[in-house]
Amino acid sequence: MKWLALLAVCATGSLLIYGVSDFPDWGSANSPANGGVEGAGASISEVFIEETETLTKVPNIVTAVLADYRGYDTMFETVVIFAAGMAIFAIIRVMRDTEQTQDKTQLDSSVDGDHQRIIVGTTCRILIPVIQLFALYVVAHGHHSPGGGFQGGVILGASFILIGLAGNLETAMQRFSEKQFVSMACIGIFIYAGFGLLGQFLGGDFLEYGVLQKVLLTDGEPMARSHSMLGVEIGVALTVTAIMFAIYANLASKGELKNGL
Amino acid sequence: MIQETIITIISALFILAGLIFFLGAAMGLLRFPDFYTRMHAAGKGDTLSSLLVVLGFAIYQLHDFTSIQSDWPVILVIFKLLAICTFIMITSPTSTHALMNAGWEDDIEPEVKGKEANDLAKDFPEK
Repeated sequence: MKWLALLAVCATGSLLIYGVSDFPDWGSANSPANGGVEGAGASISEVFIEETETLTKVPNIVTAVLADYRGYDTMFETVVIFAAGMAIFAIIRVMRDTEQTQDKTQLDSSVDGDHQRIIVGTTCRILIPVIQLFALYVVAHGHHSPGGGFQGGVILGASFILIGLAGNLETAMQRFSEKQFVSMACIGIFIYAGFGLLGQFLGGDFLEYGVLQKVLLTDGEPMARSHSMLGVEIGVALTVTAIMFAIYANLASKGELKNGL
Repeated sequence: MIQETIITIISALFILAGLIFFLGAAMGLLRFPDFYTRMHAAGKGDTLSSLLVVLGFAIYQLHDFTSIQSDWPVILVIFKLLAICTFIMITSPTSTHALMNAGWEDDIEPEVKGKEANDLAKDFPEK
């Protein structure tokens, strides 16, 4: 079985290396990104830089490329994160009931704050609302300034991990239970794919945001693309948040989701 | 013009002071004898020096400031820098404390002249 896996890895790797031979030369002026394909007009970079603002009303070109021009790619990036979380869940989550190994007194002292925990606990109480607010700002402002779904989702997930680190895993799991984070991860993917499918139902292509103008009731197609990017980023953020915390919770407690670090 | 020069000089002084404290923290981290004193140098020095450097940046932002109406982006930048200051001031000592605490729980012995000097051991006789 190990040899079969090695064979599969080697075959995939050699196919990828074989694909490199089709790449344009390093720094080539005639590559599609720099010079454009012969007879096809301006290069991709020029189009992105000059027309993104008018076509999508999004000042941040990076987000426009990420969520709109190559939205299909980003959707599967989100699915990859989801799959990573599910793989960790499948490998190390212990479903059978294990006996409570930690004695109750130790648990209580760390929750109620003996003097060793009181500094860390107070700092977390002050900072975590600020961190979460900032995470929401990063998500909501992703198409106007650096940021977006992945970054905001990681910050939001880290705030829950911080609760788990400062107190214990139970405290964090009370606020963000397993049922909640697994369904949140699914909802995130569902929102992203839903925006794509909605475009198809309204007569466009998959993930064609312009046609969503009829549903979003915006002022013209560019605004519809801008708002759809925000919606898609929110979906990404939900998945990333949930998966970040799910990975931490599973790894920290050896899959039992209790008696964490 | 004179205002610009003065503000540039003040901010440069802040940043220089921060760099001096950074140097002290780095030397302390290298030269102090045990875990606790090293963390002391890193925690205290890093906090103060990053505060001073960021405050220096905030003061430098004022150097082409004319009025609140026309220069609100400058005010916004200063506000963000001050927010970073607050953040550093809260988190850096806490992380130092948490690391020290973890070291104590892991039985890292502090370097003391005679066992009596270790007051923490008196507070936790069970160790």
